[in-house]
Amino acid sequence: MPTRTIRLGIDVGGTNTDAVLMHGRDILGTNKSFTTSDVTSGVIESVERLLGDTGIPARAVGHVMIGTTQFINAFVQRRDLVQTAIVRASLPRGDGVPPLTAWPEDLLAVIGHHAFEIHGGANYDGSTYADLDERELAEVAETLRQREIGAVAVSTTYAPLRPDIEERMAAFFRAALPSVPVTLSGAVGGLGLVDRENAAVINASLAPLAQRVVKGLEDAISALGLDATLFISQNDGTLISTEEAARHPVFTCAAGPTNSIRGAAFLSGLDDAVVIDVGGTTTDVGSVTHGFPKETALPNFIGGVRTNMRMPDVLSVPLGGGTLVDLEQMSLGPASVGHRLKQEALVFGGQTLTATDVAVAAGVADLGDVASVSYLPSEAVAKAMASMASIAEGAVDRIKTSAVPVPAILVGGGHILLPDQLPGVDRIVRPRHAEVANAVGAAIATVSGRVDKLYDTAMIGRDGAVEAARQEAIATAVAAGAHPETVEIIELIELPMTHIRAGTTQIKVRAVGELDLAVDSSPAITA
Amino acid sequence: MARGAVFLGAGGGGDPYVGELFVSAQIEAGRFPRVAALDEIADDALVVSIAGMGAPTILVENLISERALLELVRRTETLHNRKVDALISIEMGGVNSMFPLGLGARLGLPVIDADGMGRAFPHLEMTSFSVYGCRASPLVLLDDLGSLVTIDVVDDRRTEELARTNVVAMGALLNGSFYPMSGADAKRTAVAGTITQTLEIGRAIREARHASADPVHALLAYLDQSGEKQHARLLFEGKIADVSHETRDGWHWGQALVRNASGDELKIDIQNEYIVARRNGRTVTVVPDIIATLDRESAEPLTAEMLRYGQRIAVVGFSAAPIMRRAEGLAVFGPRKFKLDEDFVGVEDLVTA
Repeated sequence: MPTRTIRLGIDVGGTNTDAVLMHGRDILGTNKSFTTSDVTSGVIESVERLLGDTGIPARAVGHVMIGTTQFINAFVQRRDLVQTAIVRASLPRGDGVPPLTAWPEDLLAVIGHHAFEIHGGANYDGSTYADLDERELAEVAETLRQREIGAVAVSTTYAPLRPDIEERMAAFFRAALPSVPVTLSGAVGGLGLVDRENAAVINASLAPLAQRVVKGLEDAISALGLDATLFISQNDGTLISTEEAARHPVFTCAAGPTNSIRGAAFLSGLDDAVVIDVGGTTTDVGSVTHGFPKETALPNFIGGVRTNMRMPDVLSVPLGGGTLVDLEQMSLGPASVGHRLKQEALVFGGQTLTATDVAVAAGVADLGDVASVSYLPSEAVAKAMASMASIAEGAVDRIKTSAVPVPAILVGGGHILLPDQLPGVDRIVRPRHAEVANAVGAAIATVSGRVDKLYDTAMIGRDGAVEAARQEAIATAVAAGAHPETVEIIELIELPMTHIRAGTTQIKVRAVGELDLAVDSSPAITA
Repeated sequence: MARGAVFLGAGGGGDPYVGELFVSAQIEAGRFPRVAALDEIADDALVVSIAGMGAPTILVENLISERALLELVRRTETLHNRKVDALISIEMGGVNSMFPLGLGARLGLPVIDADGMGRAFPHLEMTSFSVYGCRASPLVLLDDLGSLVTIDVVDDRRTEELARTNVVAMGALLNGSFYPMSGADAKRTAVAGTITQTLEIGRAIREARHASADPVHALLAYLDQSGEKQHARLLFEGKIADVSHETRDGWHWGQALVRNASGDELKIDIQNEYIVARRNGRTVTVVPDIIATLDRESAEPLTAEMLRYGQRIAVVGFSAAPIMRRAEGLAVFGPRKFKLDEDFVGVEDLVTA
């Protein structure tokens, strides 16, 4: 086995920490362990067991890819967030919609209500309508110091076109408050000031936690004796560096479902399919087109806050291995015993009838003590199995992009709950290693580059504008670590604008490429 | 209410999101909008329409300047040499349904439960106000940075052209005070009860979702019963097979194609708003009647800009207010004004219940 060409994929979920070792397209071993509250010890344990089981030496691992739901969980549960300020340069524009308008009360109670508006900003053509007011900046910095603010977000009008304005603001705060992390709205979102600014505030509130978590993961990797480059999965299934993840945790919020969709596609060899991930509490249904998860076109909400983050289009329905079943009422869920399945399910000696028990009674799963569920009436069991299938069928129907039947890939620990046929699906595929599809998704991740800007088509022509956007997206992907020869454009959207003098067009482009393994693994080969 | 405004926006009018936040910000500051019925307004009151004019894509960055709106009212009062007594929306569809509410809350002025369209239209003169004798001007246009233009033109079609030229020249987004009228004029020319209607549309969808009922059917049931003169029809259910957009002459043109499992198709033509829906080539709803696209599951109304390939939608046809369907109105915003080679027929006569 060549040195340091093995990849370690890890998915840290709310219940399970999954790990997989891969070489090229081959899976060398997998492990599923419980997530620990400190995360780090669970990761160390899972990886130690995996290395022990496979006999692969730690030094053979060259790349570690981690997907984690910790940041989204922290934000949704309002924990580990710091007092966060938002400073917007837009005056005299925008005062009718101040920062943090319509934010949930319980969230503001945790991060504080520290919203500031100062003069400055750019027009849609990139010209300045008001100079950034340095005196106001200094006053705000003094207030932030007095309030002992833990993180700062800065925003301005048309930041994607004029990053320099926010860069000046950030430089000012970094100089005035050296220990406080600063998030720039233009670095986390596209056009749409409020949604972009919201994403920046979410990010800033998580930044100190992200620094600690990423440090913890780095420590875990070195404690394991791994001499490997560490990457973190982001929402679109591509990878970012640990420095980038520590700076922009908001990019990792939806990595869990994305990794499971991409892992399912990889394991099954299908590039276009519906993916059904049956966990302990919920079933997440998404779809993969051309090997990538389909994303939502609509604005989305993170913990009650609207953003324009790119997110996979995933529908969660309450169906999992731990879902409570009442055969008399013939009702399913939405409650679940969750990670206490091993203690509470009948087949494991518990007192609660769960979806897993029904599957065992129906004879589709062989788990625990079959005799403990043999008293269940077979007619009611068959009915319950049919209701589970119909819950999944409904979700699949809402996610599918056409009426044509497509294959469905079943993954996750609870995939046994579903039958081998579903209406609207031409076949069901249960790939090998389906239970760790999300860790596989992390291990096979690629890197991407994105552009979302306004282009003046009157000046450079429509073709010139599209070409400029393509080149910028490719350059961004290569800078993120993609091998230049593998980069391709996988998405290009043009949105013409009304009421504007000349042809101005908003162009969104996404370029994706394979991780450039040669560049990353060559410098430090250990003997 | 924002949901109802997108519905009545008939695909256009812009996403009311930014306007909704403007109203939210007023409420968070303890200032609540006050909605007044038409008959609560004195006949000699001065009523004006406050609206944004320009590109929705600019609005999401520039947002709303409260100072500029206050200045706009001040300059309007200077022009008429008297206080403004009440505000009214030009169009109940989209973001312009929200401007008067937020500003009314800020100033403590009543907002009239009525508007000039009962929907959204692309042109300033396409209002019941204009059709029944009110003039859009003298009007005041003001940008967020303090530049002001006053337009006073006899013909509202010319007013539209001049206002539009100024919008393009002044940064693609302006605020304006249009259609200065008396309370008596408002009673005679406005489409009554439309704020209530947007609230009720939003409520029908919300309550059906809470009751786990089908929100599309709940909404249809509400709309079809909301008066003998109001008719709603489910035109189609299916998935979007294609959407095209292009900008020409400052307008958003396009077409959306929806297909169902049996191979039937519905084509919707877009000229800023949805202007005609044809099922397998046969017209099922045409302007000024309202065509609305809804997410099939949640009944969330979608603007034309939100439509994407693969979305599962329901398409609903809804009769325009009677005042909008008379011959005088059809001459200004009937099918032929959108270069369609057909006459207006109401949705209730095109599609049987």
